[in-house]
Amino acid sequence: MATNASVNLPSSAAARRSRRPAPGAGRWFPLFLILPSFIFILIVIGFPLIYSLYVSFTPYELLKPKSLNFELSTALNNYQTLLNDPVFWKALLNTVIFLTITVNLEYVLALALSQLLARVSFGQSILRTLLMIPMMFAPVLVGFQFRWFFNENLGLVNNILGVFGLTGHAWLVEEPYGLFSIILATIWMNLPVMTIILLAGTLSLPFELYEAADVDGASAWQKFRKITLPLLAPFTYIALTLRSLDVSRAFDIVRIMTGGGPGNRTELIWTYVARLSIDSTKFGLGSAMSWITVIMSLGFTVYLFRQLVKSRIVK
Amino acid sequence: MRKLLLLVVAFTLALAAISQHPAQAQGSEPQYAGLDQDLKGVTIRMANIGGGQYEALYKSIPIFEQKTGAKVELVALLDGFAIDQKLKQDFATNAVDYDVAWDHTSFMAQYKDFLEDLNQYFTKDDLKVFSPAIIQSSTIDGKLLLIPRHADISALHYRTDLYGDAKIQAAYKAATGQDLKVPTNLDDVDKQARFFVKGGYSKYGYGMAGKEEALNGRFFEMLFASGGQYLTDKYEPAFNSDVGVKVATLLRGWYKDGIIAKDTPNLVWDGDAANFCNGSVALKLEWYGWYSYFQDPKSCASIAGKFGLARGFTGLSGAGQRPTGWAGAHAFSIPTAAKNKKAAAQLIKFLTSERVAYDEAKLGFLPVRDDVWTRIIADASASAVVLDKQRLELARTQVSEDFKTPPLIAEWIPISNIVYPTIQKVMLGDLEPKAGLDQAASDARKILADAGYYKK
Repeated sequence: MATNASVNLPSSAAARRSRRPAPGAGRWFPLFLILPSFIFILIVIGFPLIYSLYVSFTPYELLKPKSLNFELSTALNNYQTLLNDPVFWKALLNTVIFLTITVNLEYVLALALSQLLARVSFGQSILRTLLMIPMMFAPVLVGFQFRWFFNENLGLVNNILGVFGLTGHAWLVEEPYGLFSIILATIWMNLPVMTIILLAGTLSLPFELYEAADVDGASAWQKFRKITLPLLAPFTYIALTLRSLDVSRAFDIVRIMTGGGPGNRTELIWTYVARLSIDSTKFGLGSAMSWITVIMSLGFTVYLFRQLVKSRIVK
Repeated sequence: MRKLLLLVVAFTLALAAISQHPAQAQGSEPQYAGLDQDLKGVTIRMANIGGGQYEALYKSIPIFEQKTGAKVELVALLDGFAIDQKLKQDFATNAVDYDVAWDHTSFMAQYKDFLEDLNQYFTKDDLKVFSPAIIQSSTIDGKLLLIPRHADISALHYRTDLYGDAKIQAAYKAATGQDLKVPTNLDDVDKQARFFVKGGYSKYGYGMAGKEEALNGRFFEMLFASGGQYLTDKYEPAFNSDVGVKVATLLRGWYKDGIIAKDTPNLVWDGDAANFCNGSVALKLEWYGWYSYFQDPKSCASIAGKFGLARGFTGLSGAGQRPTGWAGAHAFSIPTAAKNKKAAAQLIKFLTSERVAYDEAKLGFLPVRDDVWTRIIADASASAVVLDKQRLELARTQVSEDFKTPPLIAEWIPISNIVYPTIQKVMLGDLEPKAGLDQAASDARKILADAGYYKK
């Protein structure tokens, strides 16, 4: 018996009906309950955001308080400077490449790992615990660890290659190995996050669908493609959204492993922001760059959430 | 009887004269200072550099507390770059809540508007015990911004097992017609480094850090050693001169020809030191602070007892050559926002006093006081390792004669952040030396013009 590969979810209208407050209940009461959180978020996040937007239109330098001075004629100077800065574009391009490869590779590996783990019948909890180990390390420590692994003279990787008679590389210096080394370290540390999300999704799928597919003679690949993947879509988009936001603000590992160098080869947006804002004290310029990044991240997040909502609509 | 009395008096006077001499380490104990004021009820807060040997100094603080009645709170102990970031942010946001702050001659220009003039708290007598070169480097526009704690300068470290090997000496003589001697100029460093690599005697001929301010500092050092200038007297960038291009070209050649490690552009001090420690490098400039690490057979079995020290080399041939000597000093300052400035000055007097400085020098730090130099050199004379004493005598000469800080301007770090990626790109072949340095000079000029040094 063929089954519809999509799950029957409540219709939008039904969902909206279920969310309406019960007749007679105060409409404002829920708002009143969330008001303290809203005020807190406004103070902790909203005000600094607006302030940093203001700073981005000034030539503010950290140790020159008088430079926090808005003038309409020079308001866009920071943005113009960035748009004409080749390092900014390099950092942006590197971030897009880093994000695309890291998130997609992580997804593929996490999907495979979650499917394998879902099929383990003995010792699954131990395996899950072991899987979480990389997540327990602070990003700074992971950065130091991998920096030494990839050291050209003393590192583990080149020493192992040497044992097999192969030539080592200056992994953190040569293009494109520098960026790929950072990608590897990032995936190593964060693979458990996506794996756990997808594993939770896999374990929540109704097994009746698979039984029905077995009766119909579906192959393992057909079951995976027609049942597992579509039903995992909401979890996939959640995982991709979370990891995309995480990866796009990568800083610690990169700062430790390469500092964005050499010669800006592994420069990412946030390493450049930190160097501009703190090391070079050009806070206004750093704020402008941060805002460009925030707007791009918002656009990306909105897109992903739309995909997430679409994936939940009944066909 | 009378003669005997005269002899006794003469002997006593002679003893008294000897004990007055500050240089007599054996006869007198090093003294504390800053303990002569009653500071009961005063709490002095301090934000300082931490980690490793830096924290040993703070163990003397209870003595200060006991003698003066003050209480000292360590509000932050961070590594060098983290404490710099903290100070910048605290100064910018008026969040300074401490009386004594870490400082360094390379960083102090950034903070100059937020620090007290210490001439108000330290007399000429107080200051004469310190190296005049360092005190001069601690002063901007007549304002004394810091009191030095210990100094940093680099010596040329060379492998005695290579330089002392008869076969290698003979091979060098055959190849160049010259005797293999420890190089005294950059041209010879280049020649010998290439010789060691080509002959297979050393994996790398030279070792150096290759990123961040470390690379900019080494470039600056080789530049001034070769008679070049980083900035002119009018603060115009000058590192893109012919001399600067020659130095950048040299570094590029070293990288391309494998004279330095292939991941040099990703090495800071620890990675660079590790290459020397494991016997991969024939010679390099290195800070004195690494000495005990290199000499310890447990950490550096390949080179412990097999390296020597020499004064920094002069630069590439040409006018104005002088020895290298990029140097700095870790120090203490008093923020203008400090609540207890006089008490802070007393604490600094104590922490930089002869006794405390001597205790710290015994750990391997280079002192900044002449009296402490004399003591530790005398102590080292008793060591079975000849290099222990030679090292200190050499360091003393370098600190007093070769000490040179980077330009004492707040824009040193922002300019550094432009120059070092450029040097990296030149080394990697991504940029031509002249074009790269010209662009960096143009960008540095914009920074200085924006800062008001001259019109744009």
